Amino acid sequence: MSPLVQLEHVTKKYDNLRVDAAAAVDDVSAAVAEGEAVAVMGPSGSGKSTLLNLIAALDRPTGGTVRVADVRVDSLSETGAARFRRRHIGMIFQFFNLLEDMTVADNVLLPAQLGGQSRRRARARATELLDRLQISRYADTYPARLSGGERQRVAIARALVNEPPLLLADEPTGALDTANGEAIGALLLELNAAGQTLILVTHNPDLAQRYAHRVIQIVDGRVADDSPAGLTGARP
Amino acid sequence: MRPAATVRAAWHGLTGRPLQAIIIGLVALASTAASALALGMAVEANAPFDHAFARDRGAQVAITVDTARTTPARLAATTRLPGVTAAAGPFPLTEVSTAITLAGAAGALQQQVVLTGRAAPGGPVDDLALDAGRWATTTGQVVWARTRTSLPVTVGQTITVTSVPGSPRLTVVGVATSVTGTAQAWVAPAEITALHGPGVAEMLYRFASAGTTTAMAADISSIRAALPAGALVGTPQSYLTVKQQAAAQVAPFTPFIVAFGVIALVMSVMIVVNVVSGAVVSGTRRIGVLKSIGFTPSAVVAAYVLQVALPAAVGCAAGAVLGDLLSEPLLSLSASVYGVGVLLMPLWVVVTVPLAMLALTGVAALAPALRAGRMSTVQAIATARAPRAAHGYAAYRLLGGVPAAPRALTIGLAAPFARPARTFLTLAAILFGAIAVTFGVGLGTSVSRAAAELSGSATEPVQISPPAGALTAAQQRAIVAAVNRQPGTLHYTAETDDQLAVPGLADPISVVSYPGPARWTGWTLISGGWYQGARQVDVNTFFLTATGTRVGDTYTLTAGARQETVRIDGEVFDVQGHASDIFMSSAALAALVPGLGADQYDVSLRPGINAQSYANALSARLGPRLDVTTTTGSPVFASVLVLDAVLTVLLIAVAGLGVLNTAVLQIRERAHDLGVFKAIGMTPRQTLAMVVSSAVGIGVIAGLIAIPAGVALHRYLVPVMGHAGGTNVPGTLLSVYSPAELAVLAVAGLLIAAGGALGPAGWVARTRTATALRAE
Repeated sequence: MSPLVQLEHVTKKYDNLRVDAAAAVDDVSAAVAEGEAVAVMGPSGSGKSTLLNLIAALDRPTGGTVRVADVRVDSLSETGAARFRRRHIGMIFQFFNLLEDMTVADNVLLPAQLGGQSRRRARARATELLDRLQISRYADTYPARLSGGERQRVAIARALVNEPPLLLADEPTGALDTANGEAIGALLLELNAAGQTLILVTHNPDLAQRYAHRVIQIVDGRVADDSPAGLTGARP
Repeated sequence: MRPAATVRAAWHGLTGRPLQAIIIGLVALASTAASALALGMAVEANAPFDHAFARDRGAQVAITVDTARTTPARLAATTRLPGVTAAAGPFPLTEVSTAITLAGAAGALQQQVVLTGRAAPGGPVDDLALDAGRWATTTGQVVWARTRTSLPVTVGQTITVTSVPGSPRLTVVGVATSVTGTAQAWVAPAEITALHGPGVAEMLYRFASAGTTTAMAADISSIRAALPAGALVGTPQSYLTVKQQAAAQVAPFTPFIVAFGVIALVMSVMIVVNVVSGAVVSGTRRIGVLKSIGFTPSAVVAAYVLQVALPAAVGCAAGAVLGDLLSEPLLSLSASVYGVGVLLMPLWVVVTVPLAMLALTGVAALAPALRAGRMSTVQAIATARAPRAAHGYAAYRLLGGVPAAPRALTIGLAAPFARPARTFLTLAAILFGAIAVTFGVGLGTSVSRAAAELSGSATEPVQISPPAGALTAAQQRAIVAAVNRQPGTLHYTAETDDQLAVPGLADPISVVSYPGPARWTGWTLISGGWYQGARQVDVNTFFLTATGTRVGDTYTLTAGARQETVRIDGEVFDVQGHASDIFMSSAALAALVPGLGADQYDVSLRPGINAQSYANALSARLGPRLDVTTTTGSPVFASVLVLDAVLTVLLIAVAGLGVLNTAVLQIRERAHDLGVFKAIGMTPRQTLAMVVSSAVGIGVIAGLIAIPAGVALHRYLVPVMGHAGGTNVPGTLLSVYSPAELAVLAVAGLLIAAGGALGPAGWVARTRTATALRAE
């Protein structure tokens, strides 16, 4: 069975015109199997978020190939990439990236509506997610009135509304206090236990060890280490 | 704070936001061009004759003298009379029969032409404007005079003088304009001798006092008295008559030019305020940063005003140049209407309008810059870009619930509610643009119809008349025979014109009479019906105004000892230089003035017949003793149509730039959100639809308001224009919008909005998602 995510010699340079420009991602090859939880770790500026963007088809690599669910995402057009993300990717950001002028329910519904899902089905799915993530009482509330942890739950609900096979989380607890960070971590763990493939970008080794099967260390854009992790969910 | 730091901050702010600078510059450019053009045309429409007359030292009086009945010394003495400030002449004259071949028409046109012998175009009086070619220096050359009614003769053509043995040919070496229309064509003085001129000459004068009819009458009397009895031939020509005729043609169009000018200025204000406010709002973070590093509030305000003023100054200067360039062909058309050679945009307009527009931009920039200057540093940084809290949230929610509406569309439609003030200014800009389109289209139709109805170019394009006096019975028989034989004839009628003095009216009434029904001749009725019998007449509006009568009233016409009481059956759309006109049957005129012969024949042609070719062929049949002329639309109408189109396009451009600015500001403020939209699966097409629909919603509302507003403006201004020309207007000039046209015009606002938003929307749709997400 082929992996869900397959990276082969992926390179990303932001200044293509300069031959000597440093690569943000430099010749990275890696694979993520379905149902796996993988943490991508590294210091600030190491290229881990860029790698996540390349997997999500938010950006295009300068070289190499990126395959997700057997789709060559590195060669997709902008339209193709948008459609790909709708079907295959759920994104969670450090600063939530909720749309402040929409209610919680509208934020969660949006990807389904953009994908042309029927109103009834989308609403049912959104309600189910809001219940599951224990934020249904905030359905008609605007994000500005929510705490950081609640906002991140909304973001997770939005990421899951189209039932994507792959969930990408970029520093999902980075903007949260310890308690909220723990709760979001536990939630991700729970989702993965239910079969959701997860790629988690973090610079926190503790989080990586506790919530991933495997940790890929990125230093200066290159894979420095790829080894199994604890996936205990519990604090040591 | 050192001024250099302020200038440097302004410069970096400017170069850091090139698109904003370009928009400010372009709005300033288009607004200045439209305002300068409108103001320049309005000023020129008010006084081009006076300007050209002063510049060309026009002749206040032109007289023709019989050189056999006076002496050069007596003529020279008239130039030294008290009150005479300048004089020119004597210029020998001769009237000849000619055959002129016009480009694009078969055959040659037979025409009587008065040639004036003149050694040079310049002089103390009537300094001629040489529009093309050069002056005639020897025999065999002629300089053609360009007037409102002259034939379109061009340099290089030849004119055959058929009334002189040997039929000498004259080559047209130049085309010139005389502000007072003192000649039909000029030749070297030796040519007059060669053509055996009959011994008449023209004298031109300027006087110290010539502003009124009374003063002119006194001036003419003094010349008459200084010459031997019988030396004066014909009636001396006063410049006041020429001026009145010219002014009457252009006066009706001033209201529309003023209307367009006002619309341009209002739109400019709206858009400049919108652009500058938006620029300040989107730059608030930067202002906060500047303050945090030591800029005082006044230095921040100065830097920001400067940042706006610099591109505005460039735009205003370029706009003045563009307005000047656009005015050239329009003023050239106006010049041909007045017969005044060359007209230029007044220098004060070229200088004042851009300065005023720049000042307006500065004032518009000042208020938001002051607001930002007063803001606390922390607040300035914190509030940058984000829409104010709670604005538009309800709209997002409500529109999100619209069944079956694509979400990208409803998000776009809700976007304007986030910035109500900006939305209002954008709506106003599109509204005025769409009003300009609706009004401009309607005006174009009205003017075209008026041109066709007043000139008769569509209904009776060919006239046959003798060079002077009435047609003899033999000539009438010849005309009827020739017209009947000439292929292409549809209708023809004799026309008998006369002047009747009416007690209580200062000026005589012009009478136009036809033997039969006048319906096909093209005159349009404003109200009532056409005369049927000998005691019924139709009149123009000026007659009704001057006599205080209405349609249905009776009026007693007097001719010598004869009196006829007639009923006014209808009001005719007829503008003849603020003069009273009356239309009646030839029988009714004969009852008042017996023995009058027809003055001319009017001919209507079958569809597809070239009027000039028809006239040439008819002219060949009838010979040189009868003038066959064609009616062409007045150049003033062409001038108005071009101006109408240019101003409409400019205002659409300004409105489009207003939308472009709003779309850019919106995108800049929501750059990160757009990245989020794309990250969660919004396709480029959906992004495009979202951004365009944010403007289109405003455009649709503006378009729907603009239709009744534009139609109302048209219904208000066209009669005002008519009244300025001394006439009411017929319903055909007001009911110009067909339902299909209105439906098309209803989308004008939408098209302006979509056109303005499409560029930025396309750009944002193409932007890579990761780049958009990185935006602050």
